[in-house]
Amino acid sequence: MVSRPLYLFCMVIAPLFCYVFFTTLMGSGLPVNMPIGVVDQDMTSTSRQLARNLDAFEQTAVVAHYPTVSEARTAMQSGEIYGFYYIPQGTTAKVQSQRQPTVSFYTNNTLLIAGSLLYKDMKMMSELASGAAARASLYAKGATEAQAMAFLQPIVIDTHPLNNPWLNYSVYLCNTFAPGVLMLLIFMITVYSIGVEIKDRTAREWLRMGNNSIYISLAGKLLPHTAVFFLMGILYNVYLYGFLHFPCNSGILPMLLATLCLVLASQGMGVLMIGTLPTLRLGLSFASLWGVLSFSMCGLSFPAMAMHPMLQGLANLFPLRHYFLIYVDQALNGYPMAYSWINYVALLIFMMLPFLIVHRLKGALIYYKYVP
Amino acid sequence: MKQLTFKQKIIQGIHDLFYIWMQEFRTTFRDQGVLIFFVLVPLMYPLIYAFIYTNETIREVPAVVVDYSHSALSREYLRKVDASPEVKIVSYCADMEEAKLMLKERLAYGIIYVPADFSDNIAQGKQTQVSLFCDMSGLLYYKALLNANTSVSLDMNADIKIQRAGNSTHRQDEITTYPIKYEDVALFNPTNGFAAFLIPAVLILIIQQTLLLGIGLSVGTAREHNRFRDLVPINRHYNGTLRIVLGKGLSYFMVYALVSVYVLCVVPRLFSLIQIGRPDILALFTLPYLAACIFFAMTASIAIRNRETCMLLFVFTSVPLLFLSGISWPGAAMPDFWRYFSYIFPSTFGINGFVRINSMGASLNEVAPEYRALWIQAGIYFLTTCGVYRWQIIQSRKHVIEKYKEYKGR
Repeated sequence: MVSRPLYLFCMVIAPLFCYVFFTTLMGSGLPVNMPIGVVDQDMTSTSRQLARNLDAFEQTAVVAHYPTVSEARTAMQSGEIYGFYYIPQGTTAKVQSQRQPTVSFYTNNTLLIAGSLLYKDMKMMSELASGAAARASLYAKGATEAQAMAFLQPIVIDTHPLNNPWLNYSVYLCNTFAPGVLMLLIFMITVYSIGVEIKDRTAREWLRMGNNSIYISLAGKLLPHTAVFFLMGILYNVYLYGFLHFPCNSGILPMLLATLCLVLASQGMGVLMIGTLPTLRLGLSFASLWGVLSFSMCGLSFPAMAMHPMLQGLANLFPLRHYFLIYVDQALNGYPMAYSWINYVALLIFMMLPFLIVHRLKGALIYYKYVP
Repeated sequence: MKQLTFKQKIIQGIHDLFYIWMQEFRTTFRDQGVLIFFVLVPLMYPLIYAFIYTNETIREVPAVVVDYSHSALSREYLRKVDASPEVKIVSYCADMEEAKLMLKERLAYGIIYVPADFSDNIAQGKQTQVSLFCDMSGLLYYKALLNANTSVSLDMNADIKIQRAGNSTHRQDEITTYPIKYEDVALFNPTNGFAAFLIPAVLILIIQQTLLLGIGLSVGTAREHNRFRDLVPINRHYNGTLRIVLGKGLSYFMVYALVSVYVLCVVPRLFSLIQIGRPDILALFTLPYLAACIFFAMTASIAIRNRETCMLLFVFTSVPLLFLSGISWPGAAMPDFWRYFSYIFPSTFGINGFVRINSMGASLNEVAPEYRALWIQAGIYFLTTCGVYRWQIIQSRKHVIEKYKEYKGR
C-alpha cells in the first residue's frame, strides 16, 4: 500500500485537495456584489436614486448602465452581468401624477444561485420603491412613521433560517461534499486493491497469507485502509467544525461516529462491488457510477422528495444519503441520535454487505482469469 | 539510409497518419473498456442525470402551523399559503414544542407561527408579523417556504391597504397598492428549473471526463502490452511525432463528433430541456472544445501506467470541475486563485460557452472570449501532446537500444 504513489494520491492528497478546494471556493459563504446592469431611460434623480440604492444591497453591484434593453440582454448573454433592472422613460412623471408606471427586472436563471439571489434583491428594491412613493404621499397627508409603515406593510414576514442564519453555502454544501469525495475514493480504492490482486494473479498468494480464510485476508487488506480513511475523516471533521466553526450542535463525537460508520459502510459497499463484478475494470466502473451519482442522489442540492418515487426508493441504496440525513439531524440541528436511528441501521447494513458476497469473491479470487 | 525529400516525407507522413488512425480505431472498438467510456457512459449518464432532475423544481414542501391567533384573518393567510404550489400544510400544532417534534421526525421542513395578536394588530391599524422557521438541510425548502409566505403576505397586504384607503374607484385601489408596479422576468429559465440549470453543464463535462478516461485507458493498455512499458510501439509507422498525435487525435475526434451530437442535441430534446441555440453556432463552438479536450486528455494520459489507474485519478475530479465552471457557484464570487486555476481545463470554457449558446441563445460574438480561449487551449495542449509524445518516442528508442546493447554484450 505504501509502495505505490497511487494510494498516497487517492487516500491522502485527493481528499485533502477537495476539502481545501470546496471550503476556499465558497469561502465567502454567500456571494456578494454580483454584477448587474441598469437600463435607465427615465434619467431623473428618482431613477438614479433607485440605481444607487440597488447598488447598496450587499449582494448586488451595479456595474454598467445600458441605453436599451437589447444591449443589456446581449451583455447578459456574454456573461458580463447576471441580471438587469429596467426603468422606462416617464416613470417619475407617472409616479407624480399617480398614473402607476411599471418597472421591471430581469434575472438570468440559467445560473440558478446567482439568479435567485439577485431576484430577491431586485424584488425587495421594487417593493421599497413602490413603498417610498406611497410613503411620500402618506407623510404629505400627515401620517406618523409608525402609521405609514403599518399602512404600507401590514403583515411582515419574519424569517428564521434555523441553524444556518447566514444562508452560508459553504456550510450547506461542504458538510456533505467532503465526506462524499472521501466515500467515492473509498469505493475506488477498495475495489482497486482487491481487483488488482485478481488482475496481477497474486490473489492466491494473498489468500495463502491469510491462512486461506477470506475473512482474515479481507480484514488484513482493508483494516489499514480503514485506519487511513478514518484519519482523513477525523481531519475533515476537525477542519470543518473546529477550524471553520461550522454549526455542530451535537458535539463532535456523534459526527465522528457517523464518519466511522460512513467509512466502514463505503468499504462494505466496495467489497460488494468487486464481489459482484470481479473484473477490475467493471468493478471500478460500478464504483465510479455509484460514487458520482451519490452527490445527486443524497438529496442535498435537489431534494429527494422532488424526485421520481422510484428514485426516492433507490436513494436509500447510497451510503451518502444516510450520512447526509444523520449530519442534518446531529451537527446541523442538534437532535438526539435516536431520531436518526434508521440511518445508522442502514449504514450498519452496508457494513454487513460483504458477508453476502464473500463466497463468490473467494471463488473469483481463486479461479477468475483476468481478461483485458 | 537514403535521404527522403521533403515531399516524400510528407506523403509518407500522411500514409502513416492514416495507418495510425486505423489502428487506433481498431483498438477503440475492440477494447470493451474503452467502449464503455466512449459509448456506454456518454449514452447512459445524461439520461440518468436528466431523469434525476426531471421534475425541475420542488412542489408542496410539507410545513406545520402554530396558529395562536385563531382568527378569520389568520385562517385566510394559512389557506392561501396552503393553496400555493410550493407549500403544503401537513398539520396544525397546538404549540411550538409539538411543531418542533414534527420537524425532528422529518414530517415537515418548516414552521409557520402566527402570534396571538396577529388579527388584533391589523384591526388596530398596527403592523403585525408572521414568523417562519425553516429547516436548512436544503436551500430549496427554504426558498419554497419563503417565496410562498412572501407572496401571500404581499397579496394580503394589498387587500388590507385597499380596505383602509377607502377609495372610490378601482383604478385608485390599484394605485394605492402599487404606486409603481413591477414585473419580474426570469430570462432563459422561466420555471427556475434545476434540470435546465445543471444538465447543460453536466453534458459538457461528460464529454471531457469520458475522453480523459477513455484515452487514459487505451494508453494504459498500450503500455501494459508493450515490452518495455512504453507508450509508443517500435514500428516503422510510428516514427514521427506529428503523425502519431494527429492520427490518434483524428480517430478520437471522429468518435466524439458523433457522441457530441447525441449528448448535446438528442439528450436535451429527449427531456425537453431548453434548447434555443443555433445548430451551426453550436457545431462551430464544439469543434475547438473537442480538440482542446482530446489534446488535453492525451497530455494528461501520459501519467497513466496501468489500464485502470485513470479511473482512480480522474473520476473524483468531476465534482470540483463542475464547481470550477462557475455555473452553480457564481464565477463573480470565485476567489482569483481558483478562477485562474479553472483556466487549465477545457470544461470551464466549454460549459460557459455551451450554456450561453444553448440556453441563452448567444451567438459566437457573445461567447468570443470562451471561443478564443478554447482555440488557444487546443493549440497549447496540441504542443504539449507533441512534446510528451516526442519524449516517449525517444524514451522507447533508448530502451530498444539498451536492450540491443545488452543482447550484443552477452
